[in-house]
Amino acid sequence: MIHLNRLSYSFGSNWALKDISLHVEKGDFIFLTGHSGAGKTTLMRLLYGALPVTRGQATVAGYELHKLKRKQIPDLRRELGVVFQDFKILPNRSVYENVALALTVRSMAKSTIDKRVRAIIRALGLENKTYTKCHKLSGGEQQRVAIARSMVVNPKLILADEPTGNLDFELSMHLMDVFKQFHTHGTTIIMATHSREILRTVPDAKIIHLEGGQVCEPPDYILSEMGS
Amino acid sequence: MRTAGLYTFGDGIMISLIFRLIGRGIRDLGLHPWANIFTLVAVTMVSLLAGLFMFTLHNVNQELLKTRGQVQMQIFWQSGTAAEVYNRQWDKLSKLEGLKEIRTFTPDDALKHLSDALNGEDDFAWMKEQNNPLQPTALLAFSVEAGVENDRWATDLLSRLKELPYVDKIHYNPLQIDLAKGWIGLTRSVIWPIIGFLGLVVALVVGNTIRLSLMTRKDEIEILYLVGAKQWFIRLPLLTGGALLGLTGSSIALGTLYAAQRIFEDVLNFPPLFMKLTFLPPDQCIALLGAVTLIGMFSSFVAVRG
Repeated sequence: MIHLNRLSYSFGSNWALKDISLHVEKGDFIFLTGHSGAGKTTLMRLLYGALPVTRGQATVAGYELHKLKRKQIPDLRRELGVVFQDFKILPNRSVYENVALALTVRSMAKSTIDKRVRAIIRALGLENKTYTKCHKLSGGEQQRVAIARSMVVNPKLILADEPTGNLDFELSMHLMDVFKQFHTHGTTIIMATHSREILRTVPDAKIIHLEGGQVCEPPDYILSEMGS
Repeated sequence: MRTAGLYTFGDGIMISLIFRLIGRGIRDLGLHPWANIFTLVAVTMVSLLAGLFMFTLHNVNQELLKTRGQVQMQIFWQSGTAAEVYNRQWDKLSKLEGLKEIRTFTPDDALKHLSDALNGEDDFAWMKEQNNPLQPTALLAFSVEAGVENDRWATDLLSRLKELPYVDKIHYNPLQIDLAKGWIGLTRSVIWPIIGFLGLVVALVVGNTIRLSLMTRKDEIEILYLVGAKQWFIRLPLLTGGALLGLTGSSIALGTLYAAQRIFEDVLNFPPLFMKLTFLPPDQCIALLGAVTLIGMFSSFVAVRG
């Protein structure tokens, strides 16, 4: 699903990532850990084409990012679902419209969009908020909308950058259940987090730990959380 | 072409999707009503200023062309020419190319004018009918614009008029032709650069206003890119919105200008000006509408570039 070979990225003279090499199989659940500034978000942004791969090689869902042309980026993103800490949903549009957006850009027929959107909204327990504008929703509901939008396209890979960072414990656990459900259906998930509680929710997940832009052995406290 | 609920480009164009996107562009204007209302007001005001400038230029030019862009020729027929002869010729003359105005005088008309000019103090009744020595005349005013490209236009016209049967002589002032040509040359070389400069100013102001209004939709554009939207999918509604703002703004401006023209058309129509304000000709109206609409579209296009 993902293959990185000596991937590096710098902002000017500062190396955000240095010589990252890793391999992610289809169906893996990966926790990307590390302190703030370790390079988690930069790696995520490289993976969904928000930053160009200028050094090293990266292949994501069959797309060779180091050869990727600008006009191919939308095609790459159609294979992915991306979830952010700050949700990135349209506040003045309804839940339905936000979720449907991901299918509308794929030029799908209205009837298909309607069927799939209603199904995912129901699955995430948002059916009584279908036509509510998103700015009227709670943080947890907004994040569920973001997850619904990323899931409705049946992505091969979900990239979630601190998706529970703005949520309380209870909501975070609920959302982790949602992610786990999708994972059991075969979706590959890479989730950046530095929360111990989150790590505990998926004990069989793999850990990629970043320190100073490089992949390192996870510290003991992380290994103890994962029980290995 | 439609496959399992999925529209694909294939060899055709997804007309329905394009119309949906255009419709979305129109509906999206309602998502940020205040930003769009302020943009519309700004576009309208700049278009109104541009229209007002064009309107002033058009009226001043029209007025000056009336006096400086015309050449007058006065034709005198031989005394005693039969009325049906010169009447027939006047009919033909009134159809000449470039003719703006024709005023004709029978010998009796000329006599009456002479009498009126002398405040009716002299009785010219004895000169009527067979004794009237005055000649039938026609005063022809030509717009030089029609024939200005041809230097031989005036001399050709003159010789054609001289060849008319029973024509005795023709009076005209060659300097008038030079003056008219000079004036028209000046207006052509000055007005269009001024309109071009004005267009540039309008483009910058309207363009930047629309670009600023699109800042309110920055997040939305980012999200659309994030979920895999292609350039055309993002740009089409924005181009529609930009075009609609430009078209609506310039239409309101032209409507306001038209209303003002109707109210104030006779405001300068008094001696010695006698200047009736006329509205912009259709080609200039279309140019203004088209230019502002295109500027709106172009600004939207530039705003989401990259």
